[in-house]
Amino acid sequence: MDTIIIDGLSFALPLFIMAIGGIYSEKSGITNLALEGFQGFGAFIGAMSAVLIANASGAAVENMFYVALIFAMIGGMGFSVIHAVLSIKFKANQVISGVVINILALALTTFLTTQINALVFGAASDKFRLGVSERFTIDGLANIPVIGAVFTDVYPFEVIIIVIAIFAWYVLYKTKFGLRLRASGENPQSVDAAGVNVYKIRFSAVLISGMLSGLAGMCFAYSISAQFSSGIYMGYGFLAIAALIFGNWRILPTLAACLLFGFAKSGGMYIAQAMALPSSFTDLFMILPYVLTLLLLIFFSKTNRAPRALGEIYDKGKR
Amino acid sequence: MSEYIVEMKHITKRFPGIVANDDVSIGIKKGEIFALLGENGAGKSTLMSMLSGMYEPDEGEIYIRGEKVQISSPNHAANLNIGMVHQHFKLVEDYTITENIILGIEPIKKFAGLFPYVGIRGANRKIEELSKKFGLEVDPTKKIADLTVSMQQRVEILKVLYREAEILIFDEPTAVLTPQEIDFLLAIIEGLRNSGKTIILITHKLEEIKRVADRCAVLNKGKLIDVLDVETTSVNLMAQLMVGREVNFESEKTPAQFKEEVLKVEQLTVKNEDGFEVVKDVSFTIHSGEIFAIAGVADNGQVEIADAIAGLIKASGGKIFLNGQDITNDSIRNRTESGISYIPEDRQKFGLFLDFDLSTNLGSKQYYKKPFSNKGILNKQEFDQFGTQLIEKYDIRSGQGIKTQVRSMSGGNQQKAIIAREIELQSPLMIFVQPTRGVDIGAIENIHRMMIEQRDQGKAILLVSLELDEIMNVADTIGVIYNGQLQKVASSDSLTTNEVGEYMMGAKHE
Repeated sequence: MDTIIIDGLSFALPLFIMAIGGIYSEKSGITNLALEGFQGFGAFIGAMSAVLIANASGAAVENMFYVALIFAMIGGMGFSVIHAVLSIKFKANQVISGVVINILALALTTFLTTQINALVFGAASDKFRLGVSERFTIDGLANIPVIGAVFTDVYPFEVIIIVIAIFAWYVLYKTKFGLRLRASGENPQSVDAAGVNVYKIRFSAVLISGMLSGLAGMCFAYSISAQFSSGIYMGYGFLAIAALIFGNWRILPTLAACLLFGFAKSGGMYIAQAMALPSSFTDLFMILPYVLTLLLLIFFSKTNRAPRALGEIYDKGKR
Repeated sequence: MSEYIVEMKHITKRFPGIVANDDVSIGIKKGEIFALLGENGAGKSTLMSMLSGMYEPDEGEIYIRGEKVQISSPNHAANLNIGMVHQHFKLVEDYTITENIILGIEPIKKFAGLFPYVGIRGANRKIEELSKKFGLEVDPTKKIADLTVSMQQRVEILKVLYREAEILIFDEPTAVLTPQEIDFLLAIIEGLRNSGKTIILITHKLEEIKRVADRCAVLNKGKLIDVLDVETTSVNLMAQLMVGREVNFESEKTPAQFKEEVLKVEQLTVKNEDGFEVVKDVSFTIHSGEIFAIAGVADNGQVEIADAIAGLIKASGGKIFLNGQDITNDSIRNRTESGISYIPEDRQKFGLFLDFDLSTNLGSKQYYKKPFSNKGILNKQEFDQFGTQLIEKYDIRSGQGIKTQVRSMSGGNQQKAIIAREIELQSPLMIFVQPTRGVDIGAIENIHRMMIEQRDQGKAILLVSLELDEIMNVADTIGVIYNGQLQKVASSDSLTTNEVGEYMMGAKHE
């Protein structure tokens, strides 16, 4: 039971922060299917920086987590510029742009990983070995039955994510940037008429989604994967999109959806292990979150309402 | 010099293919209601767009309070205390009134001296005060999605007032309002003037100008015709100047010659989506050579009657006969084939393919038949030829003839195109739903003339209109509907406007 909660949380929270990135982008009116690519590319930049800096300084890669996190956010943000420029400046179709970016990220990072490994370490491996970031337990709270698991074996990134999530909520709902951002996704003409530059707002929103996705990718790489490889592209980005849609583009309900996915995943693993099934069967249980997605779609699709101008190319001249 | 708060001198603005404003000079005094009158496409909105910072003039100068200015953006216009109440509202439906109004100039407070946030509560209070001061009666915490059109318009007015506008431009503000709402709005506009604001009213409705405006500039085809003192000028003269020729407010009509019965509706009942009966037990007949008009206040079931006859919605009870044939359960195409032409209320949604060209639209009711197509292959040449003919015959004006994208045409010409297409079907029954909504006087006259022409050629015509004047003007028989039921059916000669009005309100019973 405890492992379900512990593993579920450590999976759900990175998913959550990535979904928040998606909410920012989509609330501003830009469809974002590129979360998957952003998190992968961000994780690649983070992992590469960690490995290279560790190599140069002689420190252990396991301890480079925070450095990696910062670089991953920068990397994800940098990569998201492609989506922003394509879909905002060049008014490209946002779905196509997103899909292409995902493919590009996979190809580019696999290629670069091999090249860098060959060049720096002399071995053409397609992965950066990172290890698992250290974890902590809050002694008093950890003893509470059931809930105690929440405070046991916590990754530091879980705390970071919660802090950022609260800040993200505050920016989206309490500041003028948030007010303008949400209005841009509902009726960009009205934002324009109020003298605010819609393009700038949407551009920043996409960059924020890139940054938060990079952060999420790095968290995955330093926890469940313990390495950076093409295995990072497991569809987490799409799961985050599913979560934000079930969450109706709102932050708290999205958290609920992420937790559900997280516990479904860790629960599935637990069942597979408890039944002592061969490893080929564990894969079957791993699809649980995705099956859940399909089921939830049936129930949530009717009541959900996407931002009105989502995916619509905004052209100032057109009335 | 300082007599005028706004002066536009020798303004010329060209767009590809047309001169929207040609050497126009006007001066507007502080504290007056200045009307800009002209048909669709006369250049009124373009002229004001230059004042509100949407466009810059190609030639000419603008002076505000005696100072020469170049207004480069809506923000700049706002800084000069100029605000525009747009015809098409620019509101975020999911936001409250306050959130919409403060968008772009949000008042910022600080939480714990550190975290900035948008001070919604203070803004709510300020907007409530403004609303009270000018008699706008809005609740700033309500969401736009829950508001009526006229309420949304008041939010647009508050938006410019919140930005401390002294010069308010209203772009066709009454086009979307009911008569009662128009009264309310005009009262607000007068109130604004009385508190010292300067009002510019863009409109093509003469009654409104007569009621509230002090002076009026008439534009025709981009040129300034005259600036008139409203009080001493007759409505007829204004109309004449605007259209550039004499206008007949009353259509000339020979007495009707009823022939055989074309449409027979028997105890028709229609339910809406919620299962509520919106048309109850309605029976009437229309003859060849007769214009039958259904009069009534909006949403009393008249549009549903027309839709049920055309087949857009199903009748839940009763029967419809066309030339003696029962068509109650026929498909729309069968009805068209057996002889129904339909001019829908919402021409852009139901009448046209806005992004297709004019010739495609004109042929769109016959595309499946020879000679327009052969074994499923369209014959483009045939469409073009047909389109060219109709443009000529019905005087449909557009930028690029048959190749014009219909979206770019004026409302009046869009309507002409639909009517042309429907007349060409040669159907014995023609249904017109609100045919003159949102088109200017010249076009209205034209549409009425076409309807009467069709009647004289032996068509049966069903007219659904909210404009009582229109009904009194063209109808031979009037059916008054109230709450889904026909209150009265009588020949138009036997009824006065007042009587019809009373039946419309449900006040008079037989």
